[in-house]
Amino acid sequence: MTDWTETYRPSTLSAIRGNDKARDALREWAETWDDHREAVVVYGSPGVGKTSAAHALASDEGWETVELNASDQRTADVIERYAGRAAKNATLAGAANETGGRQLVIVDEADNIHGNYDRGGSSAITRLVKEADQPIVLIANDYYDMSRGLRNACQEIEFRDVAARSIVPVLRDICRRENVEFDEEALQAIAEANSGDLRSAVNDLQAAAEEDRRLTTDDVLDGDRDRSLGVFPFLDAVLKEESPEEALQSAYRVDETPDDLTKWVAENAPKVCEGEELARAYEFLANADRWLGRVRATQEYGYWRYATDNLAAGVAAARDDTKGGWTRFSRPQFWPSSDGTADEVVRRVAESAGTSMATARRELLPYLAAMTHHCKPRELTVAMAAYYDFEEDHVSFVTGSGETTNKVQSIVEDAQTLREEAMEDHSGAFGGIPAGESADGADGAEATADVETDDEATAADEATAADELAAAANGGDDADDADDGDDGQAGLTDFM
Amino acid sequence: MFKAIVSASTLRDALDAVSVLVDECKIRLNEDGLAIRAVDPANVGMVDLALDVAAFESYEADGGVIGVNLARLEDIAGMANSGDLVHLELDEETRKLHIRIDGLSYTLALIDPDSIRQEPDIPDLDLPAEIVVEGNQLDRGITAADMVSDHIRLRVDEASETFHIEAEGDTDDVDLEVGREDLIDLQAGPADSLFSLDYLKDMNKAIPGDAEVTVELGEEFPVKLHYEFAEGMGNVTFMLAPRIQSD
Repeated sequence: MTDWTETYRPSTLSAIRGNDKARDALREWAETWDDHREAVVVYGSPGVGKTSAAHALASDEGWETVELNASDQRTADVIERYAGRAAKNATLAGAANETGGRQLVIVDEADNIHGNYDRGGSSAITRLVKEADQPIVLIANDYYDMSRGLRNACQEIEFRDVAARSIVPVLRDICRRENVEFDEEALQAIAEANSGDLRSAVNDLQAAAEEDRRLTTDDVLDGDRDRSLGVFPFLDAVLKEESPEEALQSAYRVDETPDDLTKWVAENAPKVCEGEELARAYEFLANADRWLGRVRATQEYGYWRYATDNLAAGVAAARDDTKGGWTRFSRPQFWPSSDGTADEVVRRVAESAGTSMATARRELLPYLAAMTHHCKPRELTVAMAAYYDFEEDHVSFVTGSGETTNKVQSIVEDAQTLREEAMEDHSGAFGGIPAGESADGADGAEATADVETDDEATAADEATAADELAAAANGGDDADDADDGDDGQAGLTDFM
Repeated sequence: MFKAIVSASTLRDALDAVSVLVDECKIRLNEDGLAIRAVDPANVGMVDLALDVAAFESYEADGGVIGVNLARLEDIAGMANSGDLVHLELDEETRKLHIRIDGLSYTLALIDPDSIRQEPDIPDLDLPAEIVVEGNQLDRGITAADMVSDHIRLRVDEASETFHIEAEGDTDDVDLEVGREDLIDLQAGPADSLFSLDYLKDMNKAIPGDAEVTVELGEEFPVKLHYEFAEGMGNVTFMLAPRIQSD
């Protein structure tokens, strides 16, 4: 079976239907390419003939083509290797004749070059466009999905949706050539059903007519194409309007996984239901979640169907009646929001405590937060800030005080002074050892600190005095902390 | 029907020449030997390779075409020591190629030849200059050019009868002048073209240092490089389209 969209792909620009203006603009671009030497972006909805137009153009001009598809991986390297080489060299066959070896580089789905999978692809395309010595057509669905740099380097031509009245003659023509008997009304119906999308209209025609070479209005009604359902209409269906069975059917048409759907429904159920209804709805959602857990544990994705049953039919059944009105549905929080400040605080705590970040977050941070709540007692907060080298936002995160308040700022300033003093005091004997580390020993017990510093000091006699000073300074701080912190102090030393 | 025995080094030399341009290729199993012709995906470089029956220890074929994944075939050929013989046999029914190397047997799934890119018709070029040079000289020029630029100019000076390999970088320039005494042969003519080093570097890798390379050159025309391998029983022609000289 050959695909009619391929068989009847226009081979010349003049056969492109429904976009006369864009078609002429494209030809104009090609014919004046020698003067401007710019690439062109051809954009528009799927199935309106963008790729066909690019190929038809090349064949009209007698150019060869190199095509880079979305199905190829398009890393910077690949783009450089294929399109880049093609764009800088003449072609073999053409180099000897009058076309001068020109070839058209076609980059399909240029708005779909993805950061990760196509690593570096996006900037490679921009570079390609700027440096090319061959005409380039970039094909995109959404012009504004492409980077500004890329857009600025190119001309643009929009392909509009193909109107039903332009689709009908194409279908009629195909029917004649394929010897298909047809009802004019059926063609009309196909064209309407695929408003704008010529390619899917041709596909529908083939599906409806290929078998028995007849096209009647009945065929068209049968061949209703599955359309995916947005998540908002789905929420309306489940939470307000549809029966359990209908809601389940709707769930199958939504292009989301049961995981995400469960979150959407759970997030929005309380906006529509309340009391008993809501309790029942959540019971079904809990069931759905249980099934999702089984999926995760067993990797048996067949269980997804039970999750869907619960989250769609179950929740729909939980309602007593249908509901009306408009609800502002909100996007569920799929992931706990990651907080840069929190991570940084935890990282610093974990680093100096020698624990994992998870441990620091779970077991150390709550104590710190409780001990220094709203920056009281102040000395302890200063000591903490100095010890972990916290900045304003970190102190504010741990203590819950506002970041810009004078209180927090002065604490950070004092902490800084404290650190500097400690640093200076230590620099004599402890050259390479950061203040925090040497303070470790001193914190636990002054005596230990003295022994340690003395040991170190034997290596450098002249520094002994400084060491003692340092030890004293450390000890002094700790004493202060101890006074202020009471129980807290004991806790703090535990994780130092 | 295809059944052949060939030395591993000959097979490797042949595959190397093709794999610099393409990942997969069609191999024609003609009665008088193997033939491969392939054009790279960007339509810029072409390789034309023929390996005569005489290069094989034994050879039987009746004109079929097979499609192969070159990287795979190279890997297998790499398993052999250079003196080893490689037995190749095509199983018509399963469309697989059985490869035997000294007790090691490998069954290679073939690719449908129709799915491999069709090579465009290449016009016969009548190129005015012909230079015959040792592979080593070419290698020297290309290596030097690669230090400064990504393209390379091949030029013949008709008056002084010298062959020039030049490259102009952003800051540095390179010029290798090869006089008549260092060339094996020179037929001077107007010849001056610019090429991508990417391609020439790759092609150069496949050219043995001691091979006599015939360079056919014109003015902003594709270049042709011929050389022989397998003691003259195989020959390769590379063809490379010139770079577009933007002003």
